[in-house]
Amino acid sequence: MNLIATAILAPLSMMALILLLRRLPAALALLGATVGLLASIGLLANAFNGMSDELILPGLPDMPLRLVATPLTALLSTLVAVISNLVLVYAVGYMKQDDEKVRFFATLLLFVSAMQTLVLAGDWILLLAAWELIGLSSYLLIGFWYRRPGVRSAATRAFLYTRSADLGLYIAVFILIANAGSSEIATTLNTSGNTAIVAGLLLLVAAIGKSAQTPLHDWLQRAMAGPTPVSALLHSATLVAAGAILLIRAAPMLPSETLLVTGIVGGITTVVTGLIALGERDLKRLLAASTSSQYGLMLVAVGAGVPLAALLHLIAHAAIKSSLFLGAGVFQHSRESTALADLKGAGRDRPRIFFGFLLAALALAGIPPLSGFFSKDAIIAAALSSPNAWLLASFALAGTLLTGAYMARALRILWHGDGQASAIAGLGWMGAGLAGLVTLAVILGAAFPSIETLLHTALSENNLAKILGLGAALGGLALGWFITGRRLLGPLQPWAQQGFTIAGGFDNLMVHPALAVAHGCEQLERSLYNATLAVGRSGLAMGRVVRRSDEQGIDGLIFSLVRGIIELSQRARTLQSGLIHREMAITVVSTTLIFGALLVALLVYR
Amino acid sequence: MSIELLLALITGAALFGVGIYGALSQTNLVMIMMGVELMLAAAMVNLVAFWRYLHPDNPAGQMFVLIIMTVMAIEMAVGFGIAIARFRAIGSVEMEEAAELKE
Repeated sequence: MNLIATAILAPLSMMALILLLRRLPAALALLGATVGLLASIGLLANAFNGMSDELILPGLPDMPLRLVATPLTALLSTLVAVISNLVLVYAVGYMKQDDEKVRFFATLLLFVSAMQTLVLAGDWILLLAAWELIGLSSYLLIGFWYRRPGVRSAATRAFLYTRSADLGLYIAVFILIANAGSSEIATTLNTSGNTAIVAGLLLLVAAIGKSAQTPLHDWLQRAMAGPTPVSALLHSATLVAAGAILLIRAAPMLPSETLLVTGIVGGITTVVTGLIALGERDLKRLLAASTSSQYGLMLVAVGAGVPLAALLHLIAHAAIKSSLFLGAGVFQHSRESTALADLKGAGRDRPRIFFGFLLAALALAGIPPLSGFFSKDAIIAAALSSPNAWLLASFALAGTLLTGAYMARALRILWHGDGQASAIAGLGWMGAGLAGLVTLAVILGAAFPSIETLLHTALSENNLAKILGLGAALGGLALGWFITGRRLLGPLQPWAQQGFTIAGGFDNLMVHPALAVAHGCEQLERSLYNATLAVGRSGLAMGRVVRRSDEQGIDGLIFSLVRGIIELSQRARTLQSGLIHREMAITVVSTTLIFGALLVALLVYR
Repeated sequence: MSIELLLALITGAALFGVGIYGALSQTNLVMIMMGVELMLAAAMVNLVAFWRYLHPDNPAGQMFVLIIMTVMAIEMAVGFGIAIARFRAIGSVEMEEAAELKE
């Protein structure tokens, strides 16, 4: 059986089975994800051997739906499969007390298979479809606990923000297909000139929405209303990563102007959301802001013209951020809260979980020999070698410094304080998932050279970048550990805590216009509906008039005619006797009379 | 007009008169039909006479006679069919009381 089809269909079919059977959701979900993982690993192994699988399905005329497993897509597919598998293992423990496991695991599997489709898609149409599907399933997952206050609005907000930005993707895809005459991604990447600039900027808009970049970073923090495994998956390898993956795949096409804009957007995001993370009062929201910040760094790398660095950071970040979230989930279960004030000293209760969290945090900050060090180093080196070195490099270094600062702040709060241990159900499963991901976060750096050979591109070695990156990371960690976030932020504190909401927040810029448009559409539709009703009503009135004239005019005429004929015929009937002799006599007499008259006439007028 | 034609026409008229009397005076359906046959025969005698003595070259007269004979045969078949059906249903072919055709 085709490996690509297996990677996508294994989670999907298990989702159907879970919804059908309504029992054993966790076991079935793990089975589906594991089969999908094996298929993805098979694809990656094929890619290492120089083979690239391809699956062409019939789609639109002249535009078949393609699924391709190039080295890049096979790598991303494996990443998605690995992370989702470990997160699923964790979720088995996390959701032990929840009543709606069926819905949870089914939606999670839908999410995973949609993401696999997105990653493996070889043409824009399929990519669009998968893009929409992950939007939908993330909406369902963020709103999973829809009965809790604020959850519904968070899910709607996430959906609206990402959907509004999706318009960019739609327009970009139409431009690219119209320009290249083919929907295949590889073909459209040859686009150049002004078309490439416009399409690239539109793709950037889509990526800004999905990857929660400034100015659309707000939805991601609110999306924390969902269950923690969802957040872990959302932030590491799936929804948010889709934006960066889109840009990485489209990178060969992007001209220098678009790259510069991409780098600047990423740079601003990494600084702004880093500051927000410093001011956050909630652990999960802090991690969410940090996600935006890290994706900002990836955009800087794309902007510097080295998408490979962005890819490496994406992979490292996937493992790191999901382990951070999983650790946060354990702390959340032990304190029934995610507010930093409630989590003081939570790390002391569970030293082993805290150790995993610590390793992941240090990896994110970029401490050697953990994976984050290598990817961050690659990004800084890329920024230094780009034409706009001073701008992008200062953004990248500021981002690294802030990363160290807010991670150290989180660690400090988790460590300092009074422990108050309480038992948690399903800790074994959670620990297993967390351990797997932390191991990945620690050792992934060793896999980077083989990824470079797989993709046939090499990163330039730059010792200056290593020194600068390490210095920024250590400096940030020291700042965050010894100085409280409030003192660090200084006058920026109130701003950062509101999430840098300019002009009444981005609600006013994005959501309210969207809602106003929706309201206007509703009004328009209502008036159209009323107009249609009025047309129908006038038609009915006309019909009534016609019916009356029919009934009283034409019908009356016809019926009176009929009545007259009936009366006449009744009179005529009395002539009939039915007796043969009488009839015959009448005949003879009348014939005689007629002939007689004729005879007389003949004789007279002769 | 030759004397033979006159004789033939008188014979036809006499036959017609007998036929009309029979049709009007008899009450039995069979007898009524016989009267009708006599009237048709009178018409045939007239036709033959006119053909024979006025236009012996024109075959139309013979054709008329043949058609009338066919009509007679058919009329007899239908008439006797009705008579038999009526006899079977009612037991008589007397026409005095037969007024069912009215309804």
